[in-house]
Amino acid sequence: MEETKKEMPQRQGTVKKLKATGEASAYQKQWFQGLKARVEAGEDFGYLNADVPMEVLKAMDIPFVVNQWWAAICGAKRMTKKYFGLLRDAGYRDDLCSYCATAFAESLDPDDHAYDADGNPLGPWGGLPDPTIAITRLTCDCQGKIFELFAKNHGADFYAMENTQARTFPLNWWDYAQDDWENLYDKDRLDAAVEELKELIRFLEMKTGKMFDINKLQEVMDNINRQEVWYGKIRDLIADTKPAPVTVVDTINAVMPAQWQRGSEWAADHAERLYYEIKELADKGEAAVPNEKYRLMWLGRGLWHDFPFYQNFEKKYGAVFVWSMYLAMGADAYIRNNVEADPLRALAARYIGMEDFLHMPPWNAQWFLQQARRNDIDGVVYMVPENCMQAVEGSFFIKKTLEDAGIPVLAFNADPVDARKWNRDTMTGLVEDFIENRVMKKEK
Amino acid sequence: MAIRECALKNQHFARLYDAYQHRDAAALACKKAGGKVLAKLGFDVPDELVLAAGLMPVQVYADPYKELVNTDKILEFAFDPMVRKQFEKMIDGTYKELADYLAVSNSTDVFIRIFLYLREMIRSMPEMPVPPTCFIDWLFTRNRMHQERNELIIGLFRKQLEEWTGKPVTDEAIKAAAEVCNADRAALRKIGALRHGEEVRVSGTEALVIIGSGFFMDKKEHAELVEKLAEEAAEWPVIKGVRVFVTGSVHEDLKVYEMIEAAGGVVVAEDHDWGDRSYDRDYNTAYPPVRAVVDRYMLRQFSSKKAFVTQRVDALNKEVADAKADAVMFYTNIYEDSASWDYPSQKKSLDDQGIKNTCFAKMLYPAEKNEDLAAKIAEFIKG
Ligand code: SF4
Repeated sequence: MEETKKEMPQRQGTVKKLKATGEASAYQKQWFQGLKARVEAGEDFGYLNADVPMEVLKAMDIPFVVNQWWAAICGAKRMTKKYFGLLRDAGYRDDLCSYCATAFAESLDPDDHAYDADGNPLGPWGGLPDPTIAITRLTCDCQGKIFELFAKNHGADFYAMENTQARTFPLNWWDYAQDDWENLYDKDRLDAAVEELKELIRFLEMKTGKMFDINKLQEVMDNINRQEVWYGKIRDLIADTKPAPVTVVDTINAVMPAQWQRGSEWAADHAERLYYEIKELADKGEAAVPNEKYRLMWLGRGLWHDFPFYQNFEKKYGAVFVWSMYLAMGADAYIRNNVEADPLRALAARYIGMEDFLHMPPWNAQWFLQQARRNDIDGVVYMVPENCMQAVEGSFFIKKTLEDAGIPVLAFNADPVDARKWNRDTMTGLVEDFIENRVMKKEK
Repeated sequence: MAIRECALKNQHFARLYDAYQHRDAAALACKKAGGKVLAKLGFDVPDELVLAAGLMPVQVYADPYKELVNTDKILEFAFDPMVRKQFEKMIDGTYKELADYLAVSNSTDVFIRIFLYLREMIRSMPEMPVPPTCFIDWLFTRNRMHQERNELIIGLFRKQLEEWTGKPVTDEAIKAAAEVCNADRAALRKIGALRHGEEVRVSGTEALVIIGSGFFMDKKEHAELVEKLAEEAAEWPVIKGVRVFVTGSVHEDLKVYEMIEAAGGVVVAEDHDWGDRSYDRDYNTAYPPVRAVVDRYMLRQFSSKKAFVTQRVDALNKEVADAKADAVMFYTNIYEDSASWDYPSQKKSLDDQGIKNTCFAKMLYPAEKNEDLAAKIAEFIKG
């Protein structure tokens, strides 16, 4: 791998915000306003957990918002404190499931759609329109309960999809996922997931009066493949370019808004533009951090409330966060080739794996190791979520797998959404200590 | 009120109490006599199949005073303290010695994670003394498609048992085992009636012993003892007190119930798995065996982990009414969080009915670690 690495001349200064990031952020705002208009005009509106196969709704042209995306928007708008106060007032605990419960908390806010005296909206982006459908998968004990409560507050129909566990688990899942999913999963799991999809489709048809069209799904799946192939190229470009042209701060914000729009032409085109923009930087030798010395991997959910944290270690140590799951998952976990043979089964082969790839030992640990090697990672900073059983993903095995391979890991507990529990100075101290005592001392 | 004299003096109760207190004794005796033991983690490992395979089922339980030598290195702190104590026994050789096999059911997400961790230890740390382990991947949402899938899953468990024992698990053996399990449940229902009726003859503490002992002894013997005990306990003195319903975490020991009953309450029912829920719903002997197993485990009383809020509200209302409870106590251990999402809706419903209730959430384990718990419980009972 070292041989394939291109040594780039360093450019002065840091990479400016990518054009594609600004574009994505503008697009999502505009898209959200359009969605609101459709909902106000009386269309059904779905609110989905991230692991729900949203491709079905996309194919049926049912507008929807993804819970985790919206939680991130609420986090960025610093609504969390208010929302957890609302939960407390309603008798709920305010220290549980912060990531997944944000929108439920918001649904308790009487001011969500209101404006202040100056005409500024009080809810994030003017608040969440009332969904008519709320769908989650039962990938933990709490999600179904939270979604049911959320649906009730909005007067929406609640729909739950089941989850199954893998019995067979070839370690190198990423070599199977794109083409050979029949040998990646237990056959009966795939069969059951296809049946779940058919039931979901039937429910949506009954609810919305729209008919599902398999050709439309194929189009959506093709668009997703196109989009994710570009993410794969970007991920490989970053892996092969030293110093890296961009950091996780650039990529997460450019990729995630488009990832939630996956299946659309816009998202696929955006991924392509993103690739060429980063490629241009790489070709010109423009580095995100010209003094890059250490390449860091970020494991865990994004720090939505404190993105600048990632950049804290660039100037002082030349330590750059070059890898997060957000780009790399797109590359390895989403692509399903030859969709036309059976689009529903291909979709089933995508959605049942998502949680497993990320949260199931040994799949997650093996992939992180493969990625750490591929990206020449010097150290891993791993945020273990505090209050989420689903995300307790075998941190011991992840740490052990990476450290046994000679890659130092700093694991700490924090909450990705709840700024109340985040102490920037303490965390900075931890990471600085890690860089000085583990990463810099490591034999390269 | 601890366990009363009338109970302690009763020979059947004394035998059950002995099994409850010496939980490993029967399994060790079984092994000594050449039998094989299967340890169960989770509350949806069907005894009917385990018994039909010729294995003795025993429930995994925590040792609250065990030092967590390896567990604290392996489990994230989001795992609740009782599960941590159970896990230590699963990886320190305790269950490797006590049991030949371990079956884990996905009765809660926590047990799914525990299974994944055990499986990974078996794969990547073969030096750790973890018994051969399998997993039962139930679907608990109630529809026809999930029922069919559950039949497949139970068929796989049956195959696993056959593989382990080297013998077929026949339909006849399943039916015979189911009859024993049904008899045991019927006997336990008679004890239940002595708690839920107008006159309470069996205390909650005594009931925990009667029910829990069945997790650690020969099922047939348990059924016979409970049957005889139910007859005799019908003559035990009536217990006066505030009728309390307990919901939330399982109670593997007697401490919290003792505190409630010492304060003048009497626990007339509960919905956790070491109590009433364990004997809800029979195996329907008119059904084909696998279908009957699925029917029993899929469709019994909703658990706090695998049900939606409205289901939990309705279930609690019904159970509280059936047990004629005056008061409801929510009790959940720290990090055992899912029931916390049900609580506000359940509380509102109880408040609307004028049923007094209290909530002890984020409780330390074992219960005696909680400062002033007995006093707080007494305040609730007497208040
Ligand atoms: S346990 Fe985790 S995944 Fe489940 S609802 Fe809570 S935060 Fe979300």
